[in-house]
Amino acid sequence: MEKFAKSFPSKPLGAKTARPWALAGVVGSGNLEVLMERGGKPSDAMECHVETSIPGYKASWLAALADFAHHYPAGGTKVTINDQGAPPVLVNLRLRQAYDHLTKGDK
Amino acid sequence: MTGAILFHELTARQRIAALVDPGSFSELLPPPERITSPYLAQLGIPVSFDDGLVIGRARIGGKKIYLAAQVGQFVGGAVGEIHGAKLTGLFKAAARDKVPCVLIVESGGVRLHEGSSGEIAIAETMRAIFECRALKVPTIAVIATDIGAYGGIGILSTCCDFRVMTEHGRLGISGPIVIEKWMGKKAYDSGNRALVWKTSGGKTKYLLGDADLLVHDTADGVREGIARFLGKSSPVSLASVKARQKELAKRLKKFGATSDPEAVWKGMGVRNIEAASLASGPEFAALAKRGK
Repeated sequence: MEKFAKSFPSKPLGAKTARPWALAGVVGSGNLEVLMERGGKPSDAMECHVETSIPGYKASWLAALADFAHHYPAGGTKVTINDQGAPPVLVNLRLRQAYDHLTKGDK
Repeated sequence: MTGAILFHELTARQRIAALVDPGSFSELLPPPERITSPYLAQLGIPVSFDDGLVIGRARIGGKKIYLAAQVGQFVGGAVGEIHGAKLTGLFKAAARDKVPCVLIVESGGVRLHEGSSGEIAIAETMRAIFECRALKVPTIAVIATDIGAYGGIGILSTCCDFRVMTEHGRLGISGPIVIEKWMGKKAYDSGNRALVWKTSGGKTKYLLGDADLLVHDTADGVREGIARFLGKSSPVSLASVKARQKELAKRLKKFGATSDPEAVWKGMGVRNIEAASLASGPEFAALAKRGK
């Protein structure tokens, strides 16, 4: 297991979201779950907490999270991840799914 | 939205969204509460925010229900202390509020990493189910995925008033690999999918009366199946238990010596095995006059 936390600069999230939190993905082999919540601090950063069963890939994680924070206005969100060996492309997909669900709701 | 997608391909949360009245689901102990397994964390195994079980209140066709869905992809949907406590609490709440309780099953049984607390949780949930049944509060298990219902969850499912299954669902106590390990590959080949499904799959379970209804592998099919039982209950009495015991003795006498699952299908009234193999849900049920 490896555990780390870091905040990434990101444009602030809109004042209103469809939901206070959103969950994407499942903790299964090669998969992960992303919980995205309002109320992260400060409002111009995406606060990330990662727990992964595969140690040794911190650099890839930081790059994937920084990339998402750069492309989406996710400042003021708190992102918590439980991972069971998902590849970076899936990490990005789940972040986008969680973000869409948070901002736009079920549909 | 998800009506056309096969039910067994959805995740637990998608299953709930596809089954209940739009917007009616309110989750109890949702992910932000972070009630996760302390045992998995100690063992260095990733935890999940819902510990593999999504529970809450919802409505189906306007009727209030308590609803739980197991997450099969997370440690096989297995029951640990938190997962089990959520399950027990939900059925207890159902008994307290006299609201029907529906469990979307997808579990291999108890989580071995936290075996004792999982076993105790299953026993406590069974007690809560029987509390519901004594009060005539309907309890319904939906078994619709190939992970199915095995081990303690197999037993727990059969404690409910009714079981709704699809042909993808499987129901049993020891799983196919366990049986093969103990009895040998000659006695039971767990790699033979046709054999596995013909002995523990939804169609066979329906023929034998272990499943009360066989539905199509869609959210619409499952929802209609659940709706059919929301106003009913099946009493637990000495007479009903004795009658069931008699049925089982008869079944053992009739099929106990056979090693051919098709003989069981024929014995339960299926005339055209090939047509029945291809049919699904209600069409299968129509082809098979269940030995009554």
